[in-house]
Parts: sequence; C-alpha cells; structure tokens
Amino acid sequence: MMFSKRINVALVSGLCALTPAPAAAQALAEQVAVCGSCHGENGKPQEKVTPIIWGQMRGYLYIQLRDFKRGDRKHEIMQAMAANFERDDMLAIAEYFSQKPWPDLGQPRAPKEVAERAVRANGSVGCTGCHFDQWQGDGTVPRLAGMSREYLAKAISEFRTRARGNNPGMSDLMLATSVEDLAALAEYLAGR
Amino acid sequence: MRQYQRNATILAGAAAIAVVAGASFAQEIKQDAVKAARMAKVPSVGQDLLNKAANDVNNFLLTNGDYAQTRFYPAKQINRNNVRNLKVAWIFQTEVRESLETSPIVVDGVMFVTTSFSHVYAIDAKTGEELWHYKHKMGPITTYCCGPNNRGVQVLGDLVYLATLDAKLVALNSKTGAVVWETQVADPEAGYSETMAPTVVKDKVLIGTNGGEYGIRGFVKAYDAKTGKLIWTFNTTPENSVGVWAMKDATDRDMHRNIEAEKAQLAKTGDPYKTLGGGVWQNPAVDLAANRIFFVVGNPSPDLDGSIRPGDNLYTDSLVSVDLETGKYVCHSQYIAHDVWDLDAVSPPVLVNAKDRSGKTIPAVIHGGKTGHVYVHDRKDCSLIRFSDAMVPQENMWVLPTKEGARMLPGANGGVEWSPMATDPGQGLAYAINLHQPMTYHVESSPYPNGKLWLGGAFKVIPSEAQSGNITAVDYNTGKIKWQVKTPQPMIGGILATAGGLVFTGEGNGKFAAYNSSNGKELWSFNAGAGVNAPPSSYSVGGKQYIVVGAGGNTQLDFKRGNSIVAFTQ
Repeated sequence: MMFSKRINVALVSGLCALTPAPAAAQALAEQVAVCGSCHGENGKPQEKVTPIIWGQMRGYLYIQLRDFKRGDRKHEIMQAMAANFERDDMLAIAEYFSQKPWPDLGQPRAPKEVAERAVRANGSVGCTGCHFDQWQGDGTVPRLAGMSREYLAKAISEFRTRARGNNPGMSDLMLATSVEDLAALAEYLAGR
Repeated sequence: MRQYQRNATILAGAAAIAVVAGASFAQEIKQDAVKAARMAKVPSVGQDLLNKAANDVNNFLLTNGDYAQTRFYPAKQINRNNVRNLKVAWIFQTEVRESLETSPIVVDGVMFVTTSFSHVYAIDAKTGEELWHYKHKMGPITTYCCGPNNRGVQVLGDLVYLATLDAKLVALNSKTGAVVWETQVADPEAGYSETMAPTVVKDKVLIGTNGGEYGIRGFVKAYDAKTGKLIWTFNTTPENSVGVWAMKDATDRDMHRNIEAEKAQLAKTGDPYKTLGGGVWQNPAVDLAANRIFFVVGNPSPDLDGSIRPGDNLYTDSLVSVDLETGKYVCHSQYIAHDVWDLDAVSPPVLVNAKDRSGKTIPAVIHGGKTGHVYVHDRKDCSLIRFSDAMVPQENMWVLPTKEGARMLPGANGGVEWSPMATDPGQGLAYAINLHQPMTYHVESSPYPNGKLWLGGAFKVIPSEAQSGNITAVDYNTGKIKWQVKTPQPMIGGILATAGGLVFTGEGNGKFAAYNSSNGKELWSFNAGAGVNAPPSSYSVGGKQYIVVGAGGNTQLDFKRGNSIVAFTQ
C-alpha cells in the first residue's frame, strides 16, 4: 500500500513536471491523461483501493474534485492534482469521465446469505433512497454497483472514522450501521 | 435504469469512434429538449377559471384540486353505485422508470404529467396519446435526498410551469412544450433542489425549495408569471429564529429540551438561521378572499442534532401564513420547537370551514402531521384550535435521540408524510394516508458541511418490527377518527375524494382502490403492477368522468418502480 502510493506520487509529480503550464490552459486531454495512471487507462484502476471513475456520476466527480481542492476531502495525491484545477476544469473532467463506460471488474456475486444481510441493512438505513434501486447513483450521489470491494470497504471505514470528512451525513449513516452489515454491503455491491 | 444503460452503450460507441478519429474525448450526446409529436390544443387558462376550480367538473387545474387544496372533486358520474364498473381507459408509459409523485393536471382534454428527473408530458386525456414531451437538460449538479421526484406542473395563460431538480423554474409553451423562460431559483451546489409543483395565482408563480437535509436556508419565492422576474422572497428561517424556548409541542407534551445548554450554545455561536433548513416543498393553500397563502415549513438542519442549533428554530415544523402580494409574515403556529426527530410539517395545508372551540364555524386551515395528528387552526391568526386523535401508534414521545439509538413511534416518515390529504366539506371529514414504521433515532454531531448531507445522526427502521399503513377519515370539527382502513404497507402518495361519495388512493404493492368516503368500505380495486404512490386526479372529457393516477413506485420507501400513468373510466 505504502509502496504503491509512493510510486503514484512519483508518477504524478513526474507528469506535472512535464506540463508546467497553468491548469486552466491545459488541454482537457492532458488533464485526463494523468488520471489514468491510477484510475486506469481502460477504466480499471491500478489498485483495488482506487475508485472507478469511468462511468461515475458527473456531479459526484465534480464535487469530489472541488472538495479535494478545498481540503474538505483529504488525499495527498488528489489534493495536489485538484489544486491546479478551476471550476470549469473540474466540470469538464467530470463530464469526460462520466461519459466513459463503467468497467466490469468481474467481481463475484455475493452469496445468498450475504446479499440478504445487505438488503436488510439497506432496508434499515435506506441507502437506495439516494443511491437508487440499482445502486446506480445520480447527480452528486455516486454509483456503487460494481465498485471494487476493497474501495467500498475503505470508503465505508473512512466515513466511520470521519477520516473522510466531506460527507458527514454518510458518516452518520455508516456509524448507525453495524460493521458486519457494512461488510455484507461492500461484498454485495461489488458483485452487482 | 433502462435509459441509463442505453446511454452507456451509445457513449461507449461514441468513445470508440472518437478514438478512431483521433479525438481526445467523446462528444456530448445532445438531449432532445422538446419532442413535439403534435400540438396540444390547450386554451389559455385565465385566473377566473383557476379561481373556480373547486366547481369545475371537466378540468383538474391545480395540484390539490383548487386553491383551498381540498382534493374534493365535484363530479359524481363515478359514484358508490357504479364504481365497481371502473375500467382502464388507457395506460401511458413514460420513458422514465422511477418514483412517480405527479398530480396530473387536466385542461380541456389535455393532461400534463411529470416524472422523476423533471420531464413533462402533454397527453390526450381521452386517448392517452402523447402530444409533446419536455425533457429537461439537467445541470451537472443536483443535490437531493429521497428520490429525483417531481410533483407536477401548473398552467396559467399559455404557459406551463415546472420546477426542476437542478433548482430552476421553467415556463413552457402549453401547446408545444418549448421553453419560454427559465430562471435559477437557488444554487444546487449549496443543497437546493426543486420537486414541488409551482402554484400560480394572480400573475405570480410561487415556489419553495427542498434542502432540509443539507443546511439550506429555506424560502418561498414569488416570480412574475410572464417574465420570470423575482417579486418577493420570504425566508422561512428569520434572523431571530430563537422563539419562546417552548418546552412542549403543540399537543402539550414535554420535548425534554435542555434550555440551559441551548442558551449557552446561542451565546457561543449565535443564531443558526443561515443554515437552519426549513424547506417548503409542497404547495401553499391560497385564501383568495384574504389574499394570503398558508404553507408548512419542514425540518431544521441538521435533522437529529439540536445541540448546534439553539432555540425554537423558527419557522421550521410550522404552519406559516404570508401576504400574497408582498410575502410579508402574517402569522405562524409551530408544531414542534427545536425538532430532533424530523417529525416535521410537509403535507400541504387545506383551507376548510371548521368549528372553533365555541362551536362557531370559522375559516380554518388544517394540516396532517408526521406526528399522526390532523391539526386544525384558525385562519385569522394561525392559532391551534384542536388536534385529532392519533392516527398511528405513538410510543415513547419525545425521547431524545442517542448515539446507540432510541426507539420512538412514529418513525421519522410519519404519520402523514408529504402525501396531500383530501377533504369532504359536506361530511366535515379529512382523509389522510399514514405510515407506521418503528424506528430508532440516533444522534451524531458535525459542523455545517457546505451543502452536503447533514443529518446529525440517523433514523433506522427496526427490521424485526412489522410495518403497516392506514387510510384514516378524521372529523375536523371534533378531532375524532370516523373510520380507518389498515393497509399491509406504509402509505405514501396521496388521496382524492369525490362528490360521488368516494375516496381513491393507492399502495406500494400496486393496489389502487376506491372506498366509500363515509365508512371506508372498499368498493373497487385495480393492481397497477408498480407502486401507486402518487396523488390521483379526476376530470371529464367527452361527457365521461375519469380517474387518473401515476404508478411509478417510490424511491424513499423502495416501492416497486414503474412508469405508468393509468386512466380509468366506465
């Protein structure tokens, strides 16, 4: 984990060094090319704890970039990346990736008892009230169906500790849900 | 979802082509703004026609039937004696398979319905044929909880008014669906969105806002109906939102407030009005004679954590009246001061004539609460005259939310959710649909998050406890329950009463039924195949009365989705 992060930092700073022009002036193509080094050239992220951004909701991607820039969401690499973006850059990048096809990570369907536990947990806190019945997301609410299990588990865990602080409502809901139920949800959503 | 997948496929193709052509990114796929299959022959709708909506047996002109919001339809061709013969006249399928909460509006044989994601359709009300379709080009940012709903349009003159998920107010040409003007009501990035039908009256378009879960500052705004220019704004959270430090709710029950702690917080952080919530997302009732409007204001932000918003949090959880011309405050009545349960006020108020405490019939206004009570107020000063028997079980009120979760009934959806009530003035009855969902209330504390979901905790359905619903008729002159019909699932959507002695309402399991409005006896039913969670309307065309309702399920309660508008006649 530590190892791969260092590689990524090196890679990103290398790319930044190659393109010293202000972000606003960079072509969209150059901006999005950088993203592929972690999030995957073909939409499949290099690391399992890195989220899919191909086919993700436009509003959600924009808000995350905005929050990285503001420092509301913490991530060494992403904050450094977003620091150079203006609002229009972020909207364009979000639009670009939202129109890509969602990649199939080929994760297995959750076993029946895990799926049942996940569905029950959803019935209790109402995840699909915002993420929708197919967990497909909309607007500023992300798609969860088919996201990598490792990233889902990481995000859930970081919401619970508030290490991810850019959505306190999500933190509250994760804290109100048992760790066992959340593990079931991550497995269930990964396999959808 | 179907549309979503299709878009993904198209875009995948487009991306591939772009790569082949050497372009760096896929071209935007343009939406069809308007698909005018043919003209809708809609006459210009004058204010006179709208004023007389309560007696109009041909049209259904306002979201809740008329300006008083009675949902009492005056036609009686379909009645207790013949409702058993009711059959499907047509089914119109929209292209959006998601939560339907639309109140169909009918003008001279043309019906206007909306769907989730702010689409509008004009349909031939006799045949179900599509006349035009307005597909709103949604902005990149939408922030909303509880479904991408839309509750319908209103028509004034030659314009159809729509409020959208990306917080815009749009005026369309009623004949073609073309955009005439559009204005941004509020900033979606700060948590604002629109799902309600606007109310049009006297050359104004009235609109509130969603956002009580995002730390907005709520409002009702009036726009010039012809130009879209803002006329006035009433902020639902005044700069002094502290109030009177009420210890008891409107029904005289102790709310267990820690006033000392609240006062200390107030001294430290000041009045919380700027991020206090107070959405208004259901139509106001219009008292045409008094030139005043009555609306209810939703929950304070954050929902469950009161520690960072000291005071009564005026005018959240309140009935409020303002002057129609100026938007100036007239009166209010707060149901729950400093609410920490989200048991707020959402079902649209209804103007009726009801008995005051001395038995004299006066102009009154009633509201069906999430608490499970129907509240009856004096229209003159908003004061509470009485509240009804509880329509749902109430237990452990008002226990404060805890970290581990405290069980209390009703659950946070009510009682009566946003579902509009119907009334029958002749019988002095109000008809409400209710939920029974046992929940635990959990509290967590976090500072204002810049337009993000801000619940201050969670409300959790208790999976081991049975849920149910009911249809309840309440005598608003006495507050007594006249009859009640239990349903297997919690109820959300709406209800319609008619002069034929009937009430019509639907359930999450697809059942849509007619009941005798005097005793609740079921007289007819139909299963629509998806949740019937929308308010029904009625109209007449070609000498025949119709009943119409949307069957699209419900996002919030996860009732089976569909995309049908179903019209019935004999």
